[in-house]
Amino acid sequence: MQHYKFGQPEGRFIGNYKEYSIYSSSISKTESSESAGKNEKQLAPGEFNFYYGPSTGGLIESVGFRITTPGETIVNVETDTSYKRRKVTIKGLSVDDAILKVERINGFHSASHTIAFLRAVEDASDILPDPKVEKARIAALELERIRSNLEVLKRMAEPAGFSVPVNQIGYLREKISRIISEAFGHRFFFGSQMVNGVLLEPSNISKKVSIISGEFSRIFHNIQESKIFLNRLQNTGTTNLTEMVGPVARAAGMKYDARLDSPSIDYSELGFNPVVRTEKDSFGRFMVRGQEILESCSMVENLDLTPLGKIDELNFKDGEGASRIESPAGDLFYYVKLKEGKIEDVWMVSPSTLNVKAFEQSMKSNLFPDFNTNWEGFGVWASEMEVDLE
Amino acid sequence: MSNFWFLEGLKKGRKTEKFPKIEPVEPPLRPSLMKGNGEVECPTDAIVDGKWESGKCIFCRRCEPEFQPSGDQSIFKVKRTEKLLRKSIYLYKLDSGTCGACNIELGTIFDPQFDANRLKIFMTNTPRHADAIVVMGVYTEGMAEALKNAYEAMPEPKLVIALGACAVSGGILGKRPEFPGEIDVEIAGCPPSPYTILEAISKARGEA
Repeated sequence: MQHYKFGQPEGRFIGNYKEYSIYSSSISKTESSESAGKNEKQLAPGEFNFYYGPSTGGLIESVGFRITTPGETIVNVETDTSYKRRKVTIKGLSVDDAILKVERINGFHSASHTIAFLRAVEDASDILPDPKVEKARIAALELERIRSNLEVLKRMAEPAGFSVPVNQIGYLREKISRIISEAFGHRFFFGSQMVNGVLLEPSNISKKVSIISGEFSRIFHNIQESKIFLNRLQNTGTTNLTEMVGPVARAAGMKYDARLDSPSIDYSELGFNPVVRTEKDSFGRFMVRGQEILESCSMVENLDLTPLGKIDELNFKDGEGASRIESPAGDLFYYVKLKEGKIEDVWMVSPSTLNVKAFEQSMKSNLFPDFNTNWEGFGVWASEMEVDLE
Repeated sequence: MSNFWFLEGLKKGRKTEKFPKIEPVEPPLRPSLMKGNGEVECPTDAIVDGKWESGKCIFCRRCEPEFQPSGDQSIFKVKRTEKLLRKSIYLYKLDSGTCGACNIELGTIFDPQFDANRLKIFMTNTPRHADAIVVMGVYTEGMAEALKNAYEAMPEPKLVIALGACAVSGGILGKRPEFPGEIDVEIAGCPPSPYTILEAISKARGEA
């Protein structure tokens, strides 16, 4: 492993995997905690528990919430994402076969998962990606980020009945899907990523993204003129936690971004500077994601991309590798152990796992009508949290 | 300000395509009908003895160039139609164990390019009001009971739609969910494109 080591905690906390804690520069043994398990909250007079989910039209995935309330104000929320827990067998597979499954851990953030996994494989096998491949991967990651942030903004505006911008943002999101489909051969990047390779036909990406950037800029500006909607977001879902990642952390004043502090993908030539705000609430998360769309569009527009095709089969060395990249939801970590060209061990730490705790904390003292808007602002995906990699 | 968004909406003009009355404007290559022949190694056995089975295909490109995507979006099977639902159809989605991609593509049929509402297709938040249940993802223990309960809560007549390779065949990740009733519509793709979803739902209502 070139950029990770086992030992004492170094850098910021990313998440846990079984008995290990992952930090931005190290992997260390988790100290056992005596207070494991949740304490049953005693209900105050007038309070009751209300169960929402796991299958309901208001949620994009199957997630359950136990909400404690006296009727209007939310006193406590416990999130249960385990309903759709999947077992995904990766150990013992060749790298190529493993990719087919890694792509489908979180299909909406498929490029992030696949690229993080591949960088860990490359790290284990001492393979340095070609600069052209690295640029193509950045294009994939940033297009995915644009689309994901558009989806989050759309879903934040939806519960407020803000139908014109909802549709305008939805229109742009579909345009991005079509750009991805044309450039990478699949609307969700499936089958386009490989070890030290990408299948890419980049014709006119820059021009098309530039048009979307202009259109989004106008919509984003107009939304900021809509005081009634902004009032719904301001001081809603305020969180004071420090263990968060991605746009959720950046909306709370923390300059946390793997594009800045992870060597797995090199963004240094792009003059990238993360969007950071200090509101800590739904408004901050809305603004960070909106500004990141414009920042990502600008990066894609300035990338010098060339067509890339299939590469020759590679020989893999035995070894361990790790990588951390910035998915649209935050830091995504992969560890891979290779033996005789097969996956002997694999770990994954998703950003959703940390951020869901921040969501629970942020919901306290808020009102029911703000529940969906706030949940969507965290951009949590149960699919990447609830997966057993076997 | 009260008229601002109304006017902003009007300014954009019509963005909705005329599909399925006319051909798709920008159909994706993957997923779409695969054409070709020859013996290839397929990780999901979607190609056996040179024959391609749409419901098993995850469009991983391993069979290319022997097999090539045609762009044809009609990769679904309607086993039973329900003409009573022509006036309107309310869908209840159930995520059994997805990666999230099918969820997104189902939602996309309501985006301006497709505008499923114009075809009298709507979503409902409860199976009590649903005409069709759209099941996505592989079998998971945690959602098995929810699927059964949702199906039983639906009034008759009802359609069961399996959306995506995972729900149709188990795809690459596992086995398909345990459906409490017969599957009436199988929509192939990993995930299916919005064009395919729209056309399949239209055909399930007995439309030409």
